[in-house]
Amino acid sequence: MLVSFIIAVAAVGAINTLLAILIMLADATIGNYGDCKLTINDAKELTVKGGKPLLSALKDEQIFIPSACGGRGSCGLCKLVIEDGGGDLLPTELPWLDADEQKSGVRLSCQVKVKRDMRLRIPEELFSVKQFSATVSAINDLTHDIKEVKIKLSEPAAIEFTAGQFIQLEVPPYELTDEPVYRAYSIASDPVKQDEIELEIRYVPNGICTTYVHKHLKEGDEVTFNGPYGDFHLQPTEAEIICIAGGSGMAPIKSILEEMARTGSKRKAVYFFGARSKRDLFLVERMQALEKELPQFKFIPALSEPQPEDNWDGETGLITEVVAKHVPDASGKEAYLCGSPLMIDACVKVLQEKGMSEDNIYYDKFA
Amino acid sequence: MKQTPEMERIQRQMRPGVISYDGFLGSDKRLLCEIMDADEAAVRRMGLSHSAIAARMRELREAGARGLGQTTSVPPHFEVTVDAVRGKLPCPFLHEGLYEKIYTIVKNNTSGESVTYTDMNIHMIEAHGFYEGEGAPFRQDPATLARVLEIED
Repeated sequence: MLVSFIIAVAAVGAINTLLAILIMLADATIGNYGDCKLTINDAKELTVKGGKPLLSALKDEQIFIPSACGGRGSCGLCKLVIEDGGGDLLPTELPWLDADEQKSGVRLSCQVKVKRDMRLRIPEELFSVKQFSATVSAINDLTHDIKEVKIKLSEPAAIEFTAGQFIQLEVPPYELTDEPVYRAYSIASDPVKQDEIELEIRYVPNGICTTYVHKHLKEGDEVTFNGPYGDFHLQPTEAEIICIAGGSGMAPIKSILEEMARTGSKRKAVYFFGARSKRDLFLVERMQALEKELPQFKFIPALSEPQPEDNWDGETGLITEVVAKHVPDASGKEAYLCGSPLMIDACVKVLQEKGMSEDNIYYDKFA
Repeated sequence: MKQTPEMERIQRQMRPGVISYDGFLGSDKRLLCEIMDADEAAVRRMGLSHSAIAARMRELREAGARGLGQTTSVPPHFEVTVDAVRGKLPCPFLHEGLYEKIYTIVKNNTSGESVTYTDMNIHMIEAHGFYEGEGAPFRQDPATLARVLEIED
C-alpha cells in the first residue's frame, strides 16, 4: 500500500517536472523571436529583440510614434506602413483601417508584434520627435477644472516645435495605472521659448492622466514627455483668420497667437472662445493684451449661460450662434478650431454655411 | 441566465487591458451571467426596463450635447456636460462598430447627486443589459441611475 502511494506520488511529480520542462522549452523557442531587423524607409536599419509590439520596440530605439491611448488600439493614431514582415491584419486593427489603407500595408503599430524582420515606412518628421526629461516649474488654476502646467526642460534642454503642435506626457504608475501611460496635450506657449513649455489640462472624470495632473502632480516633480507631434499649425498665407476654441482648446490657439504677436503679424484675425459662465473663462487679460499687440486681432469671448453675478455684458449664446452673428461671409478666410468634437462639428457646419471651403478649415479635435 | 461559451469569450474581452485599460468588470469576481442577472433583477424590482433607462440616459445626453462641450442647464433641474476624449472603443459583446469616447455628466441640482456615463454605457445597457461590474470606473448602478436621472416606470 505504502509502496503504491510512493510510486503514485513519484509518478505525479515526474509528470509535473516533465510538463514544466516542456513549458520552459516552449517559452524559450515558440515565444522567443530572437533579434529582428527593422529596415526603415530603405535607409535605416535597427536590430531589436523580437516579441514586443512594434510601437514599444521603436520607442526603445528613440523613435516615437504618436499614440494617445497608451497602445490599447483605441485611438488609431499609431498607423505605419509595414511593407514586409507584419503578418496578417489583426481583428483589433480592422475597425481603424479603410480598404485603401489595408491594401497599402497600413497597420496599427501598437497591435503588431515584432516577430520577424520588417520593412517599414515612417514619416520623416517623426525622426525629429524626442523624449524629454523635465521638471514641473509651476501649476496654476486657470478655472475650476483647468490647470496650467509649466514644464522646464532638463534633457534635452530645448524643444523645437511649431505653434499648434502637441506633446505626449508620460504618467508614471500610480493608483489608477500599473504602468506608464501617455496622453496628448497641445503646447500653449510661444515656440520661441524652447526651454519651457506650457500645457492647459482639463480634468476628465476617471481620466488616468488628468486625474494624475489635477490630484497628484506638484511643482518640482520630474516628468517625461515626447514630441512634438501634429500638423495643426497656421498656414503661410495672408488669408483672414477665424479661430474658435472652448475649454482647454485654448492651448494651441494661444501658441499661434503668441507667435503672431512676436513676429509682428499683420494678418486680420478674430478669436471666438466659448465658455458657460465667467468662472469657465481664462486668460482673458492675456487675450486683451494680444489685441493691443496685434493691430488686426479681436478676441470675442462668449458665455452660453452667464450667471447673474457675472454681470456679463459681452456676447451670449452658443459659440456657433456668436460666430454666425459676427461672420456674415467666411469665403476666402481660414479657420482654426480646437476643442470638443461636438463644438468642432457644429462650427464646421456653420463656417461652411457661411461660404468657407472645407479645405480652409483646420482643426485639432479631441477625438 | 446561463454562462455560455460565448459569454466566457465576452467576459475575457472585458478584462483589463483587452479593450480598455481598466476593463469593464472592476473588482467583480462573479460570472458575467451573474452580474447581468443581478442588475436585471434590480431593474425589474424598480418596475423599469433596460430600454427605459437607456432612453433617459440618451435623452439627457442629447440635451447636454447642445452645450457643445460646455455644461448646460437642462429642465427641470439638471446640469449636463457632454464631452469627449481621443479614441474609440469596440463593444466587448463581440459585434462590429466602434464607439467614440464621449462621456456625459449629469448633476441633479435638487439632490446634489451626479452620475457620469459614456456612450458605450448607453449602448451596453440598451443592447445587452450590461451595467459593468462592481468597482469598474464606469459601473452604472441601476438604482442610482433611476434616482439621479429621475427615471419613472
